[in-house]
Amino acid sequence: MKCVIPGVNIKVFGRAIHALSKIGEELYIEPLAHGLALRTVNSSRSAYACFLFSPTFFQHYDDGTPPISDQDSDDAIRCKIAIKSCLTVFKSMSNVEKTVEKCQITLNVQKARLVFKLYCKHGIVKTHNLAFIECETLQAVFSKDMCPNQLTAQPRLLCDTVINFQSNQEEVSLIVSPEKITFKNYVDDEPDPSKVVHTALNLDPDEFDNCQIGVDTDITFCLKEFRAVLAFAEITAMPLNIKFETSGRPIVLSIDADSAFEANFVLATLAESHSQTGNSSNATTQQRTASTGSRSYASRGRLNRGRSQNQSNNYTNSNHNRFPDRNKSSNDADLMDDDFDDEILVPNIARAASVPETNTKQSHTGKAFPPCSSRSSLNTSSQDDRPSPVIQPTLHQSVLEDVHAADDDEDEDMPVPGTPPQKKFRSMFFGMSQASSAVSQETQDQNGSRSHRQVLVEDTDEEEED
Amino acid sequence: MALLTQHDDSENHYVMLAKLDNVRNVSNILKAIHFKETATLFASSLGIKVTVEDSKCVQANAFIQEGVFHYFNVKDEQITFKINLTVFLECLTIFGSTSMPGISTSLKMCYAGYGCPLVLVLEEEGVLTDCTIKTLEPDEVLDFNFCSSNVINKVIMKSECLKEAFSELDMTSDVLQILMSPDPPYFRLSTFGNAGSTHSDFPKDSDMIESFTCTQTKTNRYKISLLKPSVKALGLSTRVSIRTDNRGFLSLQYMIKNEDGQVCFVEYYCAPDEDEDDEES
Repeated sequence: MKCVIPGVNIKVFGRAIHALSKIGEELYIEPLAHGLALRTVNSSRSAYACFLFSPTFFQHYDDGTPPISDQDSDDAIRCKIAIKSCLTVFKSMSNVEKTVEKCQITLNVQKARLVFKLYCKHGIVKTHNLAFIECETLQAVFSKDMCPNQLTAQPRLLCDTVINFQSNQEEVSLIVSPEKITFKNYVDDEPDPSKVVHTALNLDPDEFDNCQIGVDTDITFCLKEFRAVLAFAEITAMPLNIKFETSGRPIVLSIDADSAFEANFVLATLAESHSQTGNSSNATTQQRTASTGSRSYASRGRLNRGRSQNQSNNYTNSNHNRFPDRNKSSNDADLMDDDFDDEILVPNIARAASVPETNTKQSHTGKAFPPCSSRSSLNTSSQDDRPSPVIQPTLHQSVLEDVHAADDDEDEDMPVPGTPPQKKFRSMFFGMSQASSAVSQETQDQNGSRSHRQVLVEDTDEEEED
Repeated sequence: MALLTQHDDSENHYVMLAKLDNVRNVSNILKAIHFKETATLFASSLGIKVTVEDSKCVQANAFIQEGVFHYFNVKDEQITFKINLTVFLECLTIFGSTSMPGISTSLKMCYAGYGCPLVLVLEEEGVLTDCTIKTLEPDEVLDFNFCSSNVINKVIMKSECLKEAFSELDMTSDVLQILMSPDPPYFRLSTFGNAGSTHSDFPKDSDMIESFTCTQTKTNRYKISLLKPSVKALGLSTRVSIRTDNRGFLSLQYMIKNEDGQVCFVEYYCAPDEDEDDEES
């Protein structure tokens, strides 16, 4: 891999590194035929960022794959480096912007070094040889295109909004309706809510370049990462697209600079209610197994039928989600859940993450489920999340272990190891591809291995559709 | 100006008496070597030299020639005492260290001889401050025995570009490696940190390089923690001379222009890191 960034683009590149450094600790670098991908994920895996710099962004771009082999082959080297070390290259952005005339990045496989060469004014050359680790692709599974809620805003507007929150504020809620958009600080487990500062900012939809609210909703996500995104967006002065659905589903922030680069940030949102999802996935187990084959078609059709219907459905859903009703018949829940799944072709991560809890419930309440059936229910629910099995490896394993443990020892109060923490972002939606253990785990299920492939297929389908 | 005309009779017993209108001309240059608590001050009829040392490996000297002062008189051949530099600087900047247009602090500095305190009288806008700082028994200072005849490689360059290189030094590296050579890469600063290695190359024909006289390829390593303080001097300077001798000792000379356009010098000497000692000599 070898690429040269011209002077005018170094600012954007450097700022991108800075933005990534505020989200994750490791930088995943992957030279692709259609550009250089820089990705990171935060330690709790609740935030993911991806920059794709297209070949036109560079003065020279060579992804390094031999021309004969096809681009999907695994010959290309993917690597990760500590983001801190990369940050030393672009430590002082004001200096870099002033002095650097071009920057050459090469991947030296023989020496196992990623080399940044900064050609500065007065003929000074700075070379940084950074150690890297070969790794697999980091890929979050998300969809930007099916979201009922879409906002486009100038970064200035959002920066001015966010600046009003206290610096130690961890999460922020975004409450949207077609009439108004509200940003509010999220107050978590404070015994007396009157003792904390509540900040809410109402924005008029007119203030946004584009404001399309299909579903009234209320989502909560981390402010730290959001700030990092905004800082980058402000530098580039390019409008920020925000796409989201309901609580528990990721919010996708994106910047698309024509053909030069695109940036996507995926942030987990807080899942407000757990019991609802638990019940429903429990009940739908059997139905799922039966209908998995045709699911994607069904969902397609549903989507084609029209947006409004979906939106109203989704609306009720989100309401239920927020105010779980334990008296609801499981059948009802089942249907709802189906709707939920159909809505989103690209699977939901929050659901996957809630699986462990589901199973815990099973072992607690209905002991009729033998271990194997709960395993199959697991696999089917992963089937629902079809495009995402890539990400699940560790989760699945830990889930299985949990189930066994709970079955063996029928103590109701036993704390289940591996159960996600009670609070916060339960949606763990990312993972490395080809985690071998996960794949083998999945092949136990007849559909498991197929699902892996379907990821790719579905994704491209979606793109074509749009 | 008031100070210059006062106390003419009582000043006779001082072995050192110095007066100047703008104290910042002295305080700024002392800041450039302020990386240790105590300093040794030498005064002769030529001016004042202040020396700071660390670990018996690095030595910084600031020279304030008598021309910087409006009045400068040293009765003895040489006066030597040790002083707490931190306190000395605090006193010198007692009216604030930032410059305000049209306002300057004037200074009178007196020393009555061995065992006596250093007396500072500062005046700004009619406000007077008297400071008395205890002096200490002087230690022997290191003699690096750095002769210009033994110098092998010498580069003089504008400070500007070196400032950046020094301020961005990877402090996870133990050493700073300096390569000077008549052949490419001519002048290279390298660090070897946790993240990997970094090299900054300065070609000899760069317009930042004013003079380039290298006779042999020499690579020497210096403890980065010892060299890092020199960034203070670098920041104030306009020009820097980098020299290494046959033993690998490093001399950094900084040319610092004060607010009145006078030129002062600060120099750093540093011994090479042991591992590389005598390797190529």
